[in-house]
Amino acid sequence: MNGFSRLFFVLKEGFLQFLRTRGLSTAVVVIVAATLLQLSLFLGLSRVLDRALVSAREKFEMAVFLSPSAEASDLKRIQDLLNSDPRVASAKLVTKDQALEEFRKDPEIDKMVQALGENPLTDSFTVALKKDASGKLDDLASRLKSDPQVEEVDYGKNEWETVANLSRIVRWVGLAVGGFIFLTALFIVSNTLTLALWARREDMILLARMGAPTWMRWGPYLWEGILQGFLGGVVVVALLEVIRHGAGPALQKYGGIDILLGLPPEEWRSLYSTLVLLGVVLGVFGAFLALQKKWVRELS
Amino acid sequence: MMIQAFHLTKIHPSGVKVLDDAYFSAPEGSFVVVVGESRTGKSTFLKMLGGEEKPTSGVLKIDHKDIYHLPEPERRRWLSDVGMVFPDLKLFPDKTVEENIHFILQVKGASGDGEKEAIVQLLSRAGLAAKVQSRPADLSSGEQRMLLALRAMIFRPRLLLADEPFQGLDGKAFSTLFHFFAELNKSGSTVVVSTQQASLMEEAGKNGMGASIQWVKLENGKFLPLEAVA
Repeated sequence: MNGFSRLFFVLKEGFLQFLRTRGLSTAVVVIVAATLLQLSLFLGLSRVLDRALVSAREKFEMAVFLSPSAEASDLKRIQDLLNSDPRVASAKLVTKDQALEEFRKDPEIDKMVQALGENPLTDSFTVALKKDASGKLDDLASRLKSDPQVEEVDYGKNEWETVANLSRIVRWVGLAVGGFIFLTALFIVSNTLTLALWARREDMILLARMGAPTWMRWGPYLWEGILQGFLGGVVVVALLEVIRHGAGPALQKYGGIDILLGLPPEEWRSLYSTLVLLGVVLGVFGAFLALQKKWVRELS
Repeated sequence: MMIQAFHLTKIHPSGVKVLDDAYFSAPEGSFVVVVGESRTGKSTFLKMLGGEEKPTSGVLKIDHKDIYHLPEPERRRWLSDVGMVFPDLKLFPDKTVEENIHFILQVKGASGDGEKEAIVQLLSRAGLAAKVQSRPADLSSGEQRMLLALRAMIFRPRLLLADEPFQGLDGKAFSTLFHFFAELNKSGSTVVVSTQQASLMEEAGKNGMGASIQWVKLENGKFLPLEAVA
């Protein structure tokens, strides 16, 4: 048999086996689908957090407050320093008068400023940062602070670190819980497929006694596992599509779900691909583990 | 395939000795019929030849190779040239008659162009033309036995081992199957058949079915050459 005939043999026999043990196949598909549905929550949550993080990064700005004694040459030096840094998208000078004008829009602050009788603010630079620049700004901040005409540098370090830490925790917890769910499902899938092998042990013995090579005895079972995992993935994708388009508006009012439902189509496509791939991995590994059982190996 | 056995002994786990320092030899292309009472070890001997029952002691060589000491890939290659008709080697219940035959061609790596016509022709000669799409459960026991034998021969094995293949067959089916065995043997394959129906086989041989049969009787754990069977 050439490669194509072998592939055709494996695909055909695996598909026929899938149909012959419909009950067990359906059970595996349901288990895979249930597992993927749980994993989809973690994957979805992780994507939502990723987006929140990216969005937060984009909004982060650095504020560089200058000393009251800073002169025009100091302003130019500091602006040049900022513009030469690859992480800086733009550096806009905000004079102390412009800053005061902005502050005075708040009537309470306006009253306080009037009571002071003078402008307590200093000139500053509002620095827009390039994507992925936030969180890696310690050295730039140090360089700026070492300038005698710079009083303070504020780049939201604490806020940024809080969001990043939260994201990291959710990711690790998700990975641990998701991994546990995946391994549990793998165990159940593998044992269900072992039942299917037990039901067909006579055929396995027959094939071994006829001298059938390993690919011929194992191939159809592995393909069957792939098929079951794939179908489990497709079921979950269909379910999520129904929820997204059918029940979406009704669920919008619940906190968090609106962010999930608001993910752009390419994020959903990526999530679906991941789920189907995980289903296939679950199916093929489940089948492989079933074939590794001692009594199955002894059939050959 | 040439078969040589020296000092062959087989003791079952129950302690029964079915072969006792036995000698056996069959040249390539021979047609051997092993006769003997029931439970004398005929089936065990055929399974030994098929690589399924390791001798307790002694040497069993096929084509000068000890089949129980072959590396696994070589053992599988060797097995792909052996056809077996054993009572416990069942048909695939979920496959049709035609699929059962086609499947073995795939397993043995012998499928190719024109195989469908060849299968239909063979089934037609065996009287199973009308049952091509039937499942084994829909066949009579005689038809099932015939199909088991066809399955073992379709890929033209170099060694055919048939344990009581004629049991339950009527006269016509018997002679058809004997013809198939004789044809396979004429094409150069070694055929080893065990049977209790020795007189029927001898009759078939006398009726010019073309096979030159080497008769052996298995008795008290040893092979005894026979000129003819009464």
